[in-house]
Amino acid sequence: MNNRLFGRAFTYAGLSLIAFISVFPFYWMIVGATNTSADVTIGKLTFGSALGDNIQHFFSLFDVPRVLLNTTFVAVVGTALTLVVCSMAGYAFEIYRTKFSDRLFALFLVMLSIPFSALMIPLFIMISRAGLINTFAGVLLPGIASIFIIFYFRQATKAFPHELRDAARIDGLKEWQIFLYIYLPVMRSTYAAATIIVFMSSWNNYLWPLIVLQSNDNKVITLIVSSMRSGYNPQQGSIMVATIIATLPTLVIFFLLQRRFVEGLVGSVK
Amino acid sequence: MRSIAKRWLGLAVAGVSLLSVNVALATEITVWCWSPEFNGAAVKAAAEAYAKVNPGVTINVVDFDKGALEQKLQTQLAAGITDDLPDIVLIEDYGAQKYLQSFPDAFEPLNASLDYSQFANYKVELASVGDKTYSLPFDSGATVLYYRTDLLEQAGFTPADLDSITWDRYYEIGKKVEEVTGKKMTSHDVADPGLLRMMLQSAGSWYFGPDGQPNIVGNPVFKAALTELQKFLQSGIYKPTSGWNDYTGAFIGGDVASVNSAVWMVGGIKGNPELSGKWGAAQLPRIDGLEGATNYSNWGGSSWYVLASSAEKAEAIDFLSKVWAGDVEFYQKILVGQGAVGSWLPARAGAAYSSSDEFFSGQPVWANFSKWIEQIPGVNYGLFTNEADDAVRAQLPALLEVAISMRSLPPSMPRCVSRPCNALGGARLSLPRPMTRNRRQSMATDYAAMHCVC
Repeated sequence: MNNRLFGRAFTYAGLSLIAFISVFPFYWMIVGATNTSADVTIGKLTFGSALGDNIQHFFSLFDVPRVLLNTTFVAVVGTALTLVVCSMAGYAFEIYRTKFSDRLFALFLVMLSIPFSALMIPLFIMISRAGLINTFAGVLLPGIASIFIIFYFRQATKAFPHELRDAARIDGLKEWQIFLYIYLPVMRSTYAAATIIVFMSSWNNYLWPLIVLQSNDNKVITLIVSSMRSGYNPQQGSIMVATIIATLPTLVIFFLLQRRFVEGLVGSVK
Repeated sequence: MRSIAKRWLGLAVAGVSLLSVNVALATEITVWCWSPEFNGAAVKAAAEAYAKVNPGVTINVVDFDKGALEQKLQTQLAAGITDDLPDIVLIEDYGAQKYLQSFPDAFEPLNASLDYSQFANYKVELASVGDKTYSLPFDSGATVLYYRTDLLEQAGFTPADLDSITWDRYYEIGKKVEEVTGKKMTSHDVADPGLLRMMLQSAGSWYFGPDGQPNIVGNPVFKAALTELQKFLQSGIYKPTSGWNDYTGAFIGGDVASVNSAVWMVGGIKGNPELSGKWGAAQLPRIDGLEGATNYSNWGGSSWYVLASSAEKAEAIDFLSKVWAGDVEFYQKILVGQGAVGSWLPARAGAAYSSSDEFFSGQPVWANFSKWIEQIPGVNYGLFTNEADDAVRAQLPALLEVAISMRSLPPSMPRCVSRPCNALGGARLSLPRPMTRNRRQSMATDYAAMHCVC
């Protein structure tokens, strides 16, 4: 009995420590937003009174609503298009198998290993020739067919019961109807998990928007947060405000879809 | 009734003429820079000043992170697509030669439009290739020894005691300050080669020679600077810090009595209003007994460049030459607003430059800084300053190890520390290939010389 109690205590102590380590950066971010730049630099851990000044300074530097609108647009449209294209591709790879499916897919996986920096300059030239520099289309198009997400959907589709598809065919559904009315509802959790992954990566995307977007009117949130960090004496308090604003949407999306996310990763098909 | 009609007519005429002026001169100059609070704000002030001279031109400031801007510029120049490049771009001085020499036709030489004798000489040199100069030299990184007047007074020193001192004297003062006040003399990030760079340039030398070739093997100044850095580390007068925030936090928070930095640090120091009136500013200490050693050096700073591909090249050059090389009032404004000390020398004639600053115990700091700028030895930062820096950074722990182990030795003992020597000789250096062997040899030779040949 005593032993079990001790074990419990030990577990809780360990978990508390890990929880503290995970939560501390958030705490630091929120406390930092209320302190002056000098206080943040010194490492003050208590709440200060500079929140108003920090927010005002941040909003005076950038057209924040515009930037948030841009980021939301890029993230939402990017997520929607990526999910449509990649889920259909993943479905096709698994359901309509030919002798080339596996070879083609292996080639895709090999392409995953090419670092983005190697593709950046050719990609930039392509997008520039297409006249898409400084447009959201230029930011979105190269990322829509994401090999990783196709891979993810293909793996999830392996768990999709073929009997369901066969039954639907016998009942006279067309192929697109099977995808839309049978596959889609069954794979809800997979879609939810993919939404979180794609949304977070497009919300946090930095390098490619940086290269493509040229004007202040088109900036996304990651670009303005990083531009504040640079300089001889960065305003740390305002940076914390910017970080909070930049982090909130992904947090909200995660908490909204959390249950489905876990289900999706576990790969449950009911 | 008639007067009203007249007024309307007048307005209409004015409106039409305004419109036509706008149509004729509606040009936009795009400027890329980093740090919205410093460089960005300076461009905006310049845009205001320029609007009085040429109201038809709008200045569009786009700011990025410094590393990001460099990456963007590099990508676009390397892709050879110039349509989307800005008209004017800010480049940090350390990287200037890399851009100018890697992309020889990308930037516009400004010799025909600017009188470079009006700028601090070292800033002109670093942006020149052959007989062409490409930059509009902007902010200076003139080095400054900021010190806490109150703590030094407790230890029995006056501001005059810190005027143009040597490093040896600095260590002496530091030890006394710690003895009396219990506070360390300065904060130092042992992984940052900034101090070594300051020492090198203060004696007119750099990682690279005037011809751009590596200047390390057999360079007496490099050896002297390394020796001085080692003495600094050995003296133990510093609070070891890690990272920029920790380093600046130490003096902003009042933990240390002085800091060796540059003019742009004024903004950081003033971040803590509680210490107002308790700061003073003097020149950087110099290396004792070295020929050519001065109390003046540089850390950071950047300049404006006009892209040769710009469609609004003429307007961009006009903007730079009318405001940045012609408007004394503008320089007063950014000095007061951003603490930006420009390198256009005639700006010193303005009122703000001659005023004294209460934060710095009423010292005429700005006038002093701008006098020091003229004295900074010019060096060639070469193509690979940032890469050389990384290689040096990798060796700093070894230097520290030697210094710490020597703190406990009496000065008369022969100094032979074999382990760090081996560590240095065998260390892998991550430099561009042509320099690797040179650097490795030189680090080993310098160390052997410093430590009685292991």
